[in-house]
Amino acid sequence: MSTSTPALGADRRVSHGLARALRSPSLRLIGRRLAAAIPVLWGVTLLTFLVLNIMPGSAAQQLLGADATPEQVRQLEAELNLDQPAWVRYWEWLQGVVTGDLGNSIASGQPVTTIIGQRLPVSVELVLCAIIVSLAFTVPLALMAARRPNGIVDRLSMVLSMTGLSIANYVFALVLVVVFAVIFPVLPAIGFVPLSDGLLGNLRSLILPAIAIGFPLFCFYTRFLRGDLVEQMRGEDYVVTAKAKGVGPWRVLIRHAFRNSLFGLLTIVGLNLGTLIGATVIIEQIFALPGIGQELLQAINNRDAVVVQAIVLLLAVVVVVANLITDLLYAVLDPRIRYGQRSA
Amino acid sequence: MASVPPEAPERPMLETAGAAAVSPRRRRGWVRSLDVAIPAGVLALVLGACFLWPIVASIPPPTGGDVLESNLPPLSPGHVLGTDPVGNDILSRLLHGGQASIQIAVAVQGIGLVLGGSLGAFAAYVGGILDAVIMRCLDVLIAFPSLVLALAIAQSLGPSKVNTIWALTFFSIPAIARISRAATLRLREQPFMVAARLSGTKMWRVLVRHIAPNILPQLVTFGLLGMGIIIILEGALSFLGLGVPPPAPSWGNMIFIGQQSISAYPRLVLMPCAFLFVTVLSFNLLGEALRARWSAQ
Repeated sequence: MSTSTPALGADRRVSHGLARALRSPSLRLIGRRLAAAIPVLWGVTLLTFLVLNIMPGSAAQQLLGADATPEQVRQLEAELNLDQPAWVRYWEWLQGVVTGDLGNSIASGQPVTTIIGQRLPVSVELVLCAIIVSLAFTVPLALMAARRPNGIVDRLSMVLSMTGLSIANYVFALVLVVVFAVIFPVLPAIGFVPLSDGLLGNLRSLILPAIAIGFPLFCFYTRFLRGDLVEQMRGEDYVVTAKAKGVGPWRVLIRHAFRNSLFGLLTIVGLNLGTLIGATVIIEQIFALPGIGQELLQAINNRDAVVVQAIVLLLAVVVVVANLITDLLYAVLDPRIRYGQRSA
Repeated sequence: MASVPPEAPERPMLETAGAAAVSPRRRRGWVRSLDVAIPAGVLALVLGACFLWPIVASIPPPTGGDVLESNLPPLSPGHVLGTDPVGNDILSRLLHGGQASIQIAVAVQGIGLVLGGSLGAFAAYVGGILDAVIMRCLDVLIAFPSLVLALAIAQSLGPSKVNTIWALTFFSIPAIARISRAATLRLREQPFMVAARLSGTKMWRVLVRHIAPNILPQLVTFGLLGMGIIIILEGALSFLGLGVPPPAPSWGNMIFIGQQSISAYPRLVLMPCAFLFVTVLSFNLLGEALRARWSAQ
């Protein structure tokens, strides 16, 4: 990133300050990362388009069924712009994407942005609940496990996390349904109560799905946080200093080591968002939640390529942007990264 | 993922494994070998049951059951685990479904090892702009939520066993390529590599004779750990109706079909779930134990 050229007649002190700001390591880092994300975002649009459009067979034929006349097929193709070469369609679609117009659903004719606007809040709420559930259990368990490595809590946490990493979220979700909705019918097995119909009902309908998504995450985070904490406690100078000052073991762990490990946990949560989004697709299906994942599957079954490609693109962009934000946040919070020496 | 250095996502996992493995007291030899022996034994049992039992013992076919024999309870004559609502033998479906799941996982990781491994090693070895371009392309693939990309590909290819394999390789190739690239980068400046380069060894020969043997154990370990994820993803695809098409069984589509009568017959869901869990757990434990050995060396 170059320093700014002083504007004609501008106050020299202002331009000097701006130049210094632009040379600051954080801003340069942000600029570099943003520049690196752009080709990836472009690649994401290209791949999304390719996957959904270079498929064998005509989409119009599939929509109309096998007994459609060639004229009907040609007419629908013209209507859907399918008679254009792929790169023309890609260019038009890309223009629409950049200006926020994702086209209209082939099946229902509604604008895709409207459909996404209806579905997105449910999925966002589900993802947030899952993250909260998992972190609420991760932090205390990892702290207790790291307090005495190889102690009883630590061993139990390792067994638990290995179990959680090996259980597929849909398997766990169905086990939850069998236990909490079939054997002990205390929670609803399917269905969604919107937030506007009362908070309690809303949370009751989200609790099983949030646990189903959150449990594997909890295991993954616990494993990571426990490992990081143990490593910090074992070797880092600041831990030795704090212990030498006479700070109690819990206090060293929580106030010193945990604060440092929090950076790592933050990164893991951000990087894991892709897996989390994949999980919502299947969990929404199991619990009949009207979220974005259910819409994606419906669109796939309806062969509604416009909706499918819009949602796939949206989810991929969310992942790229989340990773970018995680990275930048990390850099802003941790001076060691800002000045170019990666820790660890 | 654009802005993260290539090895970042894998790094935390490797570190935690390392921290777990190097315990203050070195474990004795036989305990260490149990780490590998138990999951390997369980896996051998599952593999043997899925691939050998249907050949050796005579069990009913997994499809085309008789509706008159539907919903038999476990331990019925001729049907050890009972039958499903269409009258197919559940044990037979479990074993044949396991064949499909494991075949797919092995094929996906095999293709991932060959293509991803060589792509990563090649990128690291030539370096420069080609490396940057290859890694950026892989970044694009990794940017997609794995299941969502697999769903889209499986949909556009149409549901079948082979197409499921291709859809899932989009997930395994970039992951293995990154590991392979990181491992090759570490090797590049080793004396034997410099010597090979100085004596004018051709590139493909360096890759095949010098790099491949060195990075292969690490890649295979990673591949084993990935088996669990692939089996789970395959199950998810089949569960959503885009993997192995019914009536052919796979653990995923058995869970899906069983889900429709979950309140009446929970066992239809729980039995394939249990098989899936035990298999994935064994793969994970085996991969973890092997990796712990690696990082201890």
